[in-house]
Amino acid sequence: MSPKSIALVDNPMDDMCPICKSTRYLNKGIKFLINPECYHRMCSTCVDRIFTAGPASCPVPLCGKTLRKRGFKPAFFADLGIEREVDIRKRVGQVFNRRQEEFETLLDYNDYLQDTEDLIFDLVNGMAKEKLQAEEKLKAYRAMNLQEIEDNKRAGLEEADYERRKETAEKEAARQRRLKLIREQEEGKMDVEKSRRDMLERLANTDEDPTAITRQAQKVILKKSSARRNLTDSSSDPNGGLPLDSSLSIRGLKKKVAPIAEEAYDPFGGINLTPTRYVLNDEYENEWLNGIKTDTRILAGGYSLPEYYARTMFEAFSGLGVFINDEVGPKAKPEVRIKKEVEIDDDVF
Amino acid sequence: MTSSNIITEDDRYRTSTQFRLWSFTRDSLNAVRTTTNRLAADRVREAVRRAHEALSSADASDADLENPSRGVSAMPEREIDCLTVEEELRLVTFYCRQTLQLGDHLLFPTQVKTTAVQYIKRFYITNSLMTYDPATILRTALYFATKTENHYCKLTKFAEAIDKTRPEDVLASEFLLTQGLRFTFDVRHPFRALEGAVMEMNGIASGVIPYNTDVGERPQNMGRRVKTAHGKAREYLKTSALLTDVYFHYTPSQIMMATLLIADQELTHWYIASKIFLDDLAGHKILATLAECACMLQAIEPTVQAPPEERKAAGALSKKLKKCRNPEKIDLVALQRVKREGDGKVDEKIIKKRKLEREQSAKEGEDLFGPSLKNS
Repeated sequence: MSPKSIALVDNPMDDMCPICKSTRYLNKGIKFLINPECYHRMCSTCVDRIFTAGPASCPVPLCGKTLRKRGFKPAFFADLGIEREVDIRKRVGQVFNRRQEEFETLLDYNDYLQDTEDLIFDLVNGMAKEKLQAEEKLKAYRAMNLQEIEDNKRAGLEEADYERRKETAEKEAARQRRLKLIREQEEGKMDVEKSRRDMLERLANTDEDPTAITRQAQKVILKKSSARRNLTDSSSDPNGGLPLDSSLSIRGLKKKVAPIAEEAYDPFGGINLTPTRYVLNDEYENEWLNGIKTDTRILAGGYSLPEYYARTMFEAFSGLGVFINDEVGPKAKPEVRIKKEVEIDDDVF
Repeated sequence: MTSSNIITEDDRYRTSTQFRLWSFTRDSLNAVRTTTNRLAADRVREAVRRAHEALSSADASDADLENPSRGVSAMPEREIDCLTVEEELRLVTFYCRQTLQLGDHLLFPTQVKTTAVQYIKRFYITNSLMTYDPATILRTALYFATKTENHYCKLTKFAEAIDKTRPEDVLASEFLLTQGLRFTFDVRHPFRALEGAVMEMNGIASGVIPYNTDVGERPQNMGRRVKTAHGKAREYLKTSALLTDVYFHYTPSQIMMATLLIADQELTHWYIASKIFLDDLAGHKILATLAECACMLQAIEPTVQAPPEERKAAGALSKKLKKCRNPEKIDLVALQRVKREGDGKVDEKIIKKRKLEREQSAKEGEDLFGPSLKNS
């Protein structure tokens, strides 16, 4: 705790009304109220006394703000500065209530938050002029974005509502699970008890081998318990008892745009390899391939007949229109290179 | 996708190394081979002269000293009779046949054999038989083809299966071969192309695949004819296509179509016409190219075994080759070992280089941080 807050707690002035000077010593049930207009503290008696008749100016000297009884409330924080800031934040927050989903980038959202924070700072700590400007800005913004503010408010409420309902549903489900568990345990115990009673009865009333009876009874107990376990396993639902109610979904959120499906990667970079001289069929007759078509030993390894067909057909027509005499002749580049290779003494031996 | 950036089948073939590096016109191929032959012959003469000099100097110092290099004694003093380009070519063809037979003996699939043959043919464009022994290169090429065609074969087993071959013999010229291939191992064969064409023709014959009716009804008995043509075309592809230079002058698709033309002209003509508009200039050109290719293919009978007269000629050429081998490149295994291990007698150039480096470092040591630790 900072020294300042200690001083606040110990301040004897906190127990005295600054207006009527009555103290806690004299009046045990004294309650202090403030009005968010000026945050001057006074006891409830004074509030009743001054403002019951209607709006009146603040009794604190040099304040002179007109206050109404309706506006008074007990202060939540001992430090009224903080109380005031929290109130301002609440007020600004109701207007500047945009949500992150509404922004395209995180940076935009952060800028927005920074602007809001600046405004709040002006309102809390600013000089009279800055305060006035901020106040006007707030008002103008409210006027401009009335509809959206309402929407966001509703969305916020719905979200909170959904959270609450979800929480209660979870709690309820947990309770149900617990109860079920207890019930099962009790049933199991009773089953075992009953089997034991039966066994004892049989031991008492029949002439059978006692060890056989005991063993049998043990088996029955085991079987029953395992059956019960199976039953519970199958009955428990995979959602952990949480009801998936579609009506709980949040409305008013920004419509989620489905991500644009990425185009399949094309290893050939858009080159069209469609054959020009033949049409590739799915199936060809070839007596050599008849065995392969059904042989799992070959196909299991990934041998693909269509791949083979594509390759054979491609090779059958690849280069049919390439005229080496014309295309290699004029360039005659390889020739020159080869000559060089022969002439320079770079052979391995 | 727009139609503007359609990449046609031909464009895609133009990206292959077979087109970019291993396609020649007849003239350019001939020119390269002539150059190779001339250079190799010059080098052989040079090498023989050097060997003789070494021999005579050795004789002068010690008459009993054995010849430093094998084969030199067999060399005549002057005028070595080198192989001509045509002779080399005939011998390469002979050794290609040998490769095919060896592949058959080792039960290698067609892909491996054909790739090996193409490796040999490519290698001997820029290298001469007189420089590198074809019998050695043949084995290396075949073994190397098992690797590139994904047909695993253990090196020791491979070497055992061939007479008088050690694993080192196979490996010694491996890098040499890859260098000769300019590190392009992809050979585009027409075999798969043939399967494609035959599959489609079968589909047309059985009515499963619709065809372009503008060029007339499909031929009679199409199914049977396709089957016959398929077999015959494969024969040509497995032999003639490999032994001639068609791989250098035509694309796999053209070679395949040409073999089909040889096998069944009418059927193939109808099939091509149903696929491509043939009545314009480009169409005529395609037909002309195919006819040329077919003509080239028919120059060699589609048999693995060489005809007797060719075998006889090859035998004579082999003898001639033995006389004009480059004596410095005979023992590739030893050469490789020298290359790898340094052999003690380091090259003069390297000695000089190291000396220079030492001097340099000494100078720097004085300049910057005082004399180096080694000297002090």
